[in-house]
Amino acid sequence: MTSVPATPIVELVDVSKRYGAVQALNGVSLNVNRGEVLCLIGPSGSGKSTLLRTINALDSIDGGTVTFDGLDVHGPRTDIRKVRQRMGMVFQSFELFPHMTARANVSVGPHKILKLSLQEANDRADELLAKVGLADKADVHPAQLSGGQQQRVAIARALAMHPDMMLFDEPTSALDPETIGEVLSVMKQLADEGMTMVVVTHEMTFAARVAHRVAVFDKGRIIEIGSPHQVFEAPTVARTRDFLRHLGWDGSSTRSA
Amino acid sequence: MKFDWSVIADNWPLLLQGAGVTVMLTFATMALALPGGMVLTLMRMSRLAPVRAFATGFVEFFRTTPIILQVYWVFYVLPVLIDFRASAFATGLIALTLNVSAFNSETFRSGINSIRAGQRNAALALGMSEWQALRIVIIPQAIHRVLPALASTWVSLFKDTSLVSVIAVAELSYVGLQLRSQTYRVLEVLTAMAALYWLMGYPQAKLADWVHRKFKVSE
Repeated sequence: MTSVPATPIVELVDVSKRYGAVQALNGVSLNVNRGEVLCLIGPSGSGKSTLLRTINALDSIDGGTVTFDGLDVHGPRTDIRKVRQRMGMVFQSFELFPHMTARANVSVGPHKILKLSLQEANDRADELLAKVGLADKADVHPAQLSGGQQQRVAIARALAMHPDMMLFDEPTSALDPETIGEVLSVMKQLADEGMTMVVVTHEMTFAARVAHRVAVFDKGRIIEIGSPHQVFEAPTVARTRDFLRHLGWDGSSTRSA
Repeated sequence: MKFDWSVIADNWPLLLQGAGVTVMLTFATMALALPGGMVLTLMRMSRLAPVRAFATGFVEFFRTTPIILQVYWVFYVLPVLIDFRASAFATGLIALTLNVSAFNSETFRSGINSIRAGQRNAALALGMSEWQALRIVIIPQAIHRVLPALASTWVSLFKDTSLVSVIAVAELSYVGLQLRSQTYRVLEVLTAMAALYWLMGYPQAKLADWVHRKFKVSE
């Protein structure tokens, strides 16, 4: 495992969030370091996706602070659009814009938000579509793409803003098993290039192989955080062991990885 | 009873002119009511409560009162209220535009609401403003989705233009009814009117059916 530079780009301090009677986040503190790949795992409804969405303020918070590169993400005077432009986000259900071609999906951000010329934006889009292995699909609409291809376009769309970090919200959960690999390998490639990534995932093998750190969520709290080796091979919290056993995790895959 | 079609043959240009006004009124009304409906929809999504309340009140009023009453109201009451005079055509156009804008607003609103929240989130996550998300991502999809409903509104509007005959706009119904009372050839004139409306309306209805099939949402 490569060494992790320990300068935080995101700092969450005591973040809490409720949905009606449900305490979705219960005082979560967490740093994400530059160049780090952090995987958030845990049972459904444990708050990991909510936490991800508080980092770019798609979800509001009820308490605590979220700081991105020194900016108070939820602060009233923060231009949240500027913050979001520096964070790419990839959704479970892709959320490509169905009325645009793959190329337009990728170029719309640079063109309409960063105000690049259409030519420059399209060049950037073609470059990124090639990077995710979809150079030949640039003129195709999302409906004509497989789930894995759509998700790779969605990754290219997020990268087109040249973000400082990427947020992945269960990026493979809606995919057919045979297309999960192609998405994970694009993510692995990004990680290898040093992209800062926060990944909510149920792909334990990916987390074990690619993450620098893994945080385990339960009931709106982080119950355990550490290297994949520590979390998967020697979890200190009983609840983590239960969760991993539930997934059928036998602890052998990190060694074979 | 013998049909005497000479009344139609003699007054053919007049009837055609009336038909022309009907078509013009339909096009002009829709041309104004599409942006009008969109403005109302955006007003109903405003952050300002009074703006929302005004637009909602407007839409509810025009959706729930008879269109013929609205035409009379714009003709008789509006001039008194705001000291405003316009030609019969302009008055009819205003009344129809107000009415159809209200209906279009409902259509646009349901279209926008039918676009799932994830699309807005994806746009915002890229760094778009709410307005950019609406304009670039949501409204284009919503319009695509509501084309069938707009086509139905169009066909209704085409027929509803006949209602402005009550304020003497020289469209097909007014011309026909004038001709009837001048010549007393009731059967011939009404039959010719029906034929003309059908000849114009049938292709529109077929076109609307095609739009329904072509843009049917299959998600």
